[in-house]
Amino acid sequence: MKLAKNIWVLFVIVLLATGWITVDNRYFKPRPVKFIIPRGWPQPAYDFSKNPLTEEGFALGKKLFYDGRLSKDGNFSCGSCHQQFGAFNTYDHNLSHGFNNALTTRNAPGLFNLAWQKEFMWDGGINHLDLQPLAPITAENEMAETLESVISKLSSDNQYRKLFKAAFGDETINYQRIGKAMSQFLLQLVSSNSKYDKVMRGEVSFILPEQLGYEIFQKKCTGCHAEPMFTDFTYRNTGLPLDLSVSDIGRMKITGDKNDSLKFKVPSLRNVAMTFPYGHDGRFFSLLSVFEHYRKNMVVGATTDPLLQKKISLSNFEIGQLTAFLYTLTDSTFLKDPRFAPPGFENNAKPPADIHE
Amino acid sequence: MKPIFFIFTCFLLISVTGMGFITDGYNKTQQRQLVLTFQNTIGGDKLVLGNPCKNILGENIIIEKFKYYVSNFSVIDNNGQITKLPAQYFLIDEAEPLSKNIVLTVPGASIKRICFLIGVDSIKNVSGAQTGALDPLNGMFWTWNSGYIMAKLEGTSEVSASQGHYFTYHIGGFKNEMNTTRMITLELPEKDLTANQVTITAEINQWFKGKSELKITETPVCHSPGALAMRIADNYSTMFSINALR
Repeated sequence: MKLAKNIWVLFVIVLLATGWITVDNRYFKPRPVKFIIPRGWPQPAYDFSKNPLTEEGFALGKKLFYDGRLSKDGNFSCGSCHQQFGAFNTYDHNLSHGFNNALTTRNAPGLFNLAWQKEFMWDGGINHLDLQPLAPITAENEMAETLESVISKLSSDNQYRKLFKAAFGDETINYQRIGKAMSQFLLQLVSSNSKYDKVMRGEVSFILPEQLGYEIFQKKCTGCHAEPMFTDFTYRNTGLPLDLSVSDIGRMKITGDKNDSLKFKVPSLRNVAMTFPYGHDGRFFSLLSVFEHYRKNMVVGATTDPLLQKKISLSNFEIGQLTAFLYTLTDSTFLKDPRFAPPGFENNAKPPADIHE
Repeated sequence: MKPIFFIFTCFLLISVTGMGFITDGYNKTQQRQLVLTFQNTIGGDKLVLGNPCKNILGENIIIEKFKYYVSNFSVIDNNGQITKLPAQYFLIDEAEPLSKNIVLTVPGASIKRICFLIGVDSIKNVSGAQTGALDPLNGMFWTWNSGYIMAKLEGTSEVSASQGHYFTYHIGGFKNEMNTTRMITLELPEKDLTANQVTITAEINQWFKGKSELKITETPVCHSPGALAMRIADNYSTMFSINALR
């Protein structure tokens, strides 16, 4: 009878154990997050059905974004070159600093409204947001790390194993999951609450210079910087002379097509007051120098954009009004949103006092 | 003792129903497994990584890496009936002996021809990060210009003018006229129509003299989509044959 009892007890234990496994899987229910499309905006380009947003996915993505261990020497997280107070560009830097005192060859763009973007990088070489982190992680002059090493570092961290399990159901760590989690964080960086947006929603109105600037903008700039994204996501040559030290041919590097020589993606102008310096290589240190470029210094060549063949005529007065309008594109709610702040800095990023929930 | 009997009955029931389920699955469709063994050769000799050899153009070479994707398999029977097999992607890597045997589930009838794509179709090139054979971890994915490297041949040659005398051919590109995937059709010999194991030989000399000549002296490097990649893909599209090994 003692043997029977032992077997019985063992069986109950096994049953409980298997029950636990089942329970564990069945009750894997990460908390879904609804992606809200701002009123009047187009449908996002990102396919959310392949990567449904969850609280857990976002939390993991944010931790990865701010983790220096994704780089070779532990010094460079994504967040070190994509800073929230600069709308996730590298604030006040023409080029960014990478591993071993290296510099990048292009200006780090601000990160926001990525759900509407189909291609990434200045030359559009990357065709899916989930794949984007691969480039800076492995680039010798950025984070200089290998994928194998990133995965092994994360796998040896108990906290990461828990976070992957919470987000994806088990502890497997692979690049697909890293990419998806980071996308969950990046997709939620939506900037849609600037003064411009509030004017469009009828909540406030422009003051006179902003209104005049808006009218000039609609006449002279929206051919490329189309509302509401303030970019039409095309690639254009805006007459920046070739810098022979890097000879960056832009879009042509991706398509191999001579007609794409010196073309770069039209950047969004949202938060433009915060994302200086400007241009694909950050050669313009102020908005004024950009205006000077468009009205005087452009080099019109074979592939220069048809809209810019005669440069852009801008009077000093117009530049003043345009600048006033461009400042209305700064979204201080976004720049200070504690959800996106580096871990431990959430308090610094408290929304300004004039914003009431 | 009663509980024990109850438990045994339960186990018995479970195993019986489980067995029933499995046999059912097997009976439903007449399918069999076909093992394809990829045998990489140079000049008809078995490829050995790191061994000095000569290519068909007489250049002395040492091959260090040889990897390629095969995917989108379909089989054609005697009556010309085409069966598209479920989407599967395999990375054949000379350095990983196990990767050179792949198992396909094919219809039970005899097979006259095997068709497959060398490379990864465009859909998988634009669908974000993948796992398994398509995991970017395998070193067959371009990070700066999204897309798979369809095939990769690397090594050293004294005639290469590049630093370290390397020659590196990373062949990729999936867009329109730069699409480097190639559809391969191989006919099975009469005796092998119902074989469960077929050896496919990949002859590396075809990279250098398949449809046009690729001299390491002139062109030691190909790292981006374009005309050169297309030419090399045309060359290696002729490298496969069945049972050609001596």
